[in-house]
Amino acid sequence: MKSIVGALIAIVAIVAAVRLAAQQAPPPPKNPPPAGWIDPRNPPKEDPNWKPPRTADGQPSLEGQWNQASDIITYSIEDPEAERAEHIAISGQRPMIGRPIVDPPDGKIPYQPWAAKYHEFLHEQHTQPSKPEYLDPVSRGFQEGLPRINYQGQFQIHQFAGTVLINYDYHHSYRVIPLDGRPHINSDIKLWMGDSRGHWDGNTLVVDVTNNNDQTWFEIVGAFHSDALHVVERWTPTAPDHIVYIATIEDPKVYTQPWRLRVDFRRLKEEELWENAVWEGNQVEQEIFGTKK
Amino acid sequence: MGRAIAAVVLIAVTMGRPEGRSLRVEAGQVTAPSAASGIPRTKEGKPDFTGIWQVMNAAAFDIQAHQARKDVPAGMGVVVGNEVPYQPAALAKKRENFEKREALDPNSKCYLPGLPRLMYMPHPFQVFQTPAQVTMLFEYVHATRYIYTNGTPHPPGHIDWWLGDSRGRWEGDTLVIDDVDFNDETWFDASGNFHSDALHLVERFTPIDADHITYDVTVEDPKVFTRPWRMTMIFYRHREPDLQLLEYDCYAFDHEFHAPTP
Repeated sequence: MKSIVGALIAIVAIVAAVRLAAQQAPPPPKNPPPAGWIDPRNPPKEDPNWKPPRTADGQPSLEGQWNQASDIITYSIEDPEAERAEHIAISGQRPMIGRPIVDPPDGKIPYQPWAAKYHEFLHEQHTQPSKPEYLDPVSRGFQEGLPRINYQGQFQIHQFAGTVLINYDYHHSYRVIPLDGRPHINSDIKLWMGDSRGHWDGNTLVVDVTNNNDQTWFEIVGAFHSDALHVVERWTPTAPDHIVYIATIEDPKVYTQPWRLRVDFRRLKEEELWENAVWEGNQVEQEIFGTKK
Repeated sequence: MGRAIAAVVLIAVTMGRPEGRSLRVEAGQVTAPSAASGIPRTKEGKPDFTGIWQVMNAAAFDIQAHQARKDVPAGMGVVVGNEVPYQPAALAKKRENFEKREALDPNSKCYLPGLPRLMYMPHPFQVFQTPAQVTMLFEYVHATRYIYTNGTPHPPGHIDWWLGDSRGRWEGDTLVIDDVDFNDETWFDASGNFHSDALHLVERFTPIDADHITYDVTVEDPKVFTRPWRMTMIFYRHREPDLQLLEYDCYAFDHEFHAPTP
């Protein structure tokens, strides 16, 4: 899985460099969709009687290794089907077509008018950006931010007394989530991965994420936010090998209303997370803009 | 007891022991009792290094004794005996690295800094511990180390990794970590001290008390050095309430941009 995700990211990252004509007819997908994907907009029924196991200090357990099972590609979260032709032309891979936005019902981000226009501009720019800042920040080698890191690839959750630790495979990103009720850090500090504070609501881990910078996107084709981004995540174990993740996303500078995104996580067989150096080998800006690292 | 320790140390120093053990470590080993009181322990009885730690030294700038220069604080040095035993060609390369350090230091590109340099960057790191794994998280470029203490061996190699492959074991209260599988692209400091991909480290984390760990690392690289050599320093526990790791993603510093919010 690791290598597939890595390869996919590498391929998608050179989108702007290869500049293939998107208007050519899409070849048939090379890989048929695997069985068992969970559609976030039409999820299976949950067993209300199932109770998650507990950790030694009594928290509901989310421990283990997980990956998204919702057929989501970070290429596009609003309408991946519409990006299909271009995506296949670039990667030759089966496009993943999961649509994680469950609210509003049309699956689209409720931009304010100026922001819709700016998003349209970024979308036009994404294959041939005129400036580095119009290129997907992850393709440039930067951290994913929230909630994107959660649908980027596999991750490991460890729980300690008073802390939930998430170690992501991609770009060795991590999150330390205190459960002790401490306040968020000063709002002058902006972070790529935000500032997380957690608490348990029944069997659901609720994580409040603030202090986000304005430099991360939700996907490659330009869905963006400002530094007023506020994410509330709900992580609910619903079966032995299944976590339902729902993020409520608020940003009064950019959206007309909060919107929600759902991703289903499936348990993986545990394996060691090996080094995933991203920035060190990244040549995307050099290839597109001729800059020197 | 104190006088006896001093005497032992004095003898060790005056005899100039061939393996070059330092006064500090010798003293630390003598004074750290095997069942030291006040050391947090896991349920399995191992020292529990959970917490946020940081060095207080100038090793990231220069591992050897050096006076202050522009933007570099002076330092007593962390190399036992102060000599880094380069082979002749390697010594010439080290000198060239030093002359051209501003351009050549891999950290100027904000790459993963390699080991052991990551351990003494002037940024905090946080440790979490399970019986099978010691996890270290670093503020510097959000680096991570997963040190497996479950008896597994290094994977079949050689693998070119920035931070190598780490396998740990407990020797009494000391966490001993064996590291191989490095690339040849990192330095030990900002002064050009370097290694090849044959780098092999043995790190030793020994608790002194609840808030201090002696960090001792043996460096071996037959392509670059004439013999193994050692560095030793102390990790200090951060006691500030609610302190947490922030971010130092320096590769993005030259790339600042902002969404044009009204």
